Amino acid sequence: MVKPPPFRRVLIANRGEIAVRICRGLRELGIESIAVHSEVDRKCAHVLAADHAFPLGGNTAAESYLDVGKILSAAKAMGAEAIHPGYGFLSENANFARAVREAGLVFLGPNPEAMERLGGKSAAREEAMKAGVPVIPGTETDDGDAALIAAAKRIGLPVMVKASAGGGGRGMRLVYEEKDLGEAIAAGRREAKASFGDDRMIVEKAVFPARHIEIQLIGDKHGDVVSLHERECSVQRRHQKVLEEAPSPVVGESLRKRMGDAAVQLAKAVGYDNAGTAEFLVDDQGNFYFLEVNARLQVEHPVTELVTGVDLVHLQVRVAAGERLADLLKDRDLRPRGHAMEVRVCAENPEGGFLPAAGLLRLVREPEGPGIRVDSGVYSGWDVPVFYDSLLAKVIVYAPDRATACTRMSQALRDAAYLGIPTNVDFLRRLVDDPDFRQGHLRTDFLNRKPGIAKPADVPPDDLVLAAAVLTQALLPRTGAAGGSNNHESLPAMRTSTSVWRELPQFSLLGGRQ
Amino acid sequence: MSLRKTYLRDGEPVTVVAERVGGDHWRVRVGDAVHEFRAGSLGNGGVRIVPVGERAEPACTAFGAQSGKDYMIRVGGRTFTLQEPQTGRARGGAAVGDGAVRAPMTGTVLAVSCKAGDAVTADQTLVVVTAMKMEHKLVAGVAGVVKRVDATVGGTVEQGAVLVEVEPQKETLS
Repeated sequence: MVKPPPFRRVLIANRGEIAVRICRGLRELGIESIAVHSEVDRKCAHVLAADHAFPLGGNTAAESYLDVGKILSAAKAMGAEAIHPGYGFLSENANFARAVREAGLVFLGPNPEAMERLGGKSAAREEAMKAGVPVIPGTETDDGDAALIAAAKRIGLPVMVKASAGGGGRGMRLVYEEKDLGEAIAAGRREAKASFGDDRMIVEKAVFPARHIEIQLIGDKHGDVVSLHERECSVQRRHQKVLEEAPSPVVGESLRKRMGDAAVQLAKAVGYDNAGTAEFLVDDQGNFYFLEVNARLQVEHPVTELVTGVDLVHLQVRVAAGERLADLLKDRDLRPRGHAMEVRVCAENPEGGFLPAAGLLRLVREPEGPGIRVDSGVYSGWDVPVFYDSLLAKVIVYAPDRATACTRMSQALRDAAYLGIPTNVDFLRRLVDDPDFRQGHLRTDFLNRKPGIAKPADVPPDDLVLAAAVLTQALLPRTGAAGGSNNHESLPAMRTSTSVWRELPQFSLLGGRQ
Repeated sequence: MSLRKTYLRDGEPVTVVAERVGGDHWRVRVGDAVHEFRAGSLGNGGVRIVPVGERAEPACTAFGAQSGKDYMIRVGGRTFTLQEPQTGRARGGAAVGDGAVRAPMTGTVLAVSCKAGDAVTADQTLVVVTAMKMEHKLVAGVAGVVKRVDATVGGTVEQGAVLVEVEPQKETLS
């Protein structure tokens, strides 16, 4: 029996790859999607993927994707019945979730009350302690710089200085020496303010070497919460995840059940609904410590989808509409099957200190084939804006086992081309090809211990490379535009300046490729 | 037809000349070496390159695109960013250890913590720039006195722009 769509139109308060992915999920459910966009994003992939688009104006996140008033006006103007917040931006802002509800719309995320009890790292800690879930020693509140510094000394260095509201590593710093605490807190506050509009910080004992393992949760509006098991996210750089996989190479049945039970217990204790992720550090003895709950869909949600067979966006929509997990997941075997792996393709230069690299992506060629999924937010001719984060696309593979997933990922990255600006594609491939990575010897300091992955020995171009450079230019004199093959058969990016049109002469303003 | 380009390899200019000898048959001179290929453009922005000869390497598909003044070429799953000699010289112009503090990427100035006339030490943070939600501290490469500051909080800076000039301290021999 095909169920009728729970909503007619849903607005996506986000941009880039995640908004594209949500559009796809909505379309599969028979729901029309509404994209919102800033000035520079008016031809972004998510706008082209959606059924409707609404301009927010402005360019910085604050004047576009973080502006609650503008987004609610857009929802009203476009007749949206629900709002999907994606990740980042307003996704974990309880005031936004509440404002959506008060506007008579459905928020496709957790209820604001649960979000408030779990959304901030310090609030989540308290709830976890109450629910009997193990936590890392640290502060529960931000009582000012002096109190944070005093707490750090009491706990003992090294400590982790973190944004209370944060996620994605923003505002997070590992501090080894007392003298560096003040500056770490100040810088953390600035980044947290810019990213989340909330500059509260907390201090925690640094547990490492450790693995970063998280549990995907989904809850309904009737008090039921289900664990969709773990994701291994230990490969990080400056607390930003680089590669994620499911299942974890070290989590067996017993640990999976204990972590899942702890996460479900915590979620139930606070009345959590919709999708969320409980993050844990796991030490070499198999002890796990609760870190925080990400009260949203995660960047790395696809690996869970591939090994459990569920579609998390579909589930988010259905539970938000009041459906029961017991019905939605009836007769489903949710045990992880096979192995999934995701890498984050970013506009950054690993060989040059990982500096972010906005600019014109002249040629995008995304991998395809059996067991390969690409969640992308870019296309040939897209000018990557400087205002938002550097994630371009996620390459995700699925295979019967981890070893096959590794080789499949390596080949997928071999076939990928994102040219015109520096990206981390070659870095990711070196990572996946690393023998210790293949062995599954992962800790959060993996990349620090392997500087050669980020900065390999310089290999001069051989004759074939130089010949290829000249042959490509001889055969495709206007390289970068003629590509035409991307996942989003669409208009090219129109920049605020006209320079793209001069550089890509085969597109005309009047008769662009349709 | 033929196309001629010069790129740096190991710091040395290498001239590459590709000449179509008929059909899809190309002869490419790389420095003194001569290679033969069959090559044709694909519909997807790539060029299929089939080495010709007895000890021929496997065929490959190459993707290339201009990146600023450089040319990015991706072949065999690896990306090379090739520089032409003049841009190479321009880059070499600012020797490591000179007093210029440059924006490493296009971004927005978040903080300026020096002014003209200030004495600064090597590695002292002078400017903080943000791009794509990440903060980057720009530090003095040398100890000395700030000669000029060309950055204002909230302003946008282009990659490579000189934001602060530091007059290096004269070393005194004792």
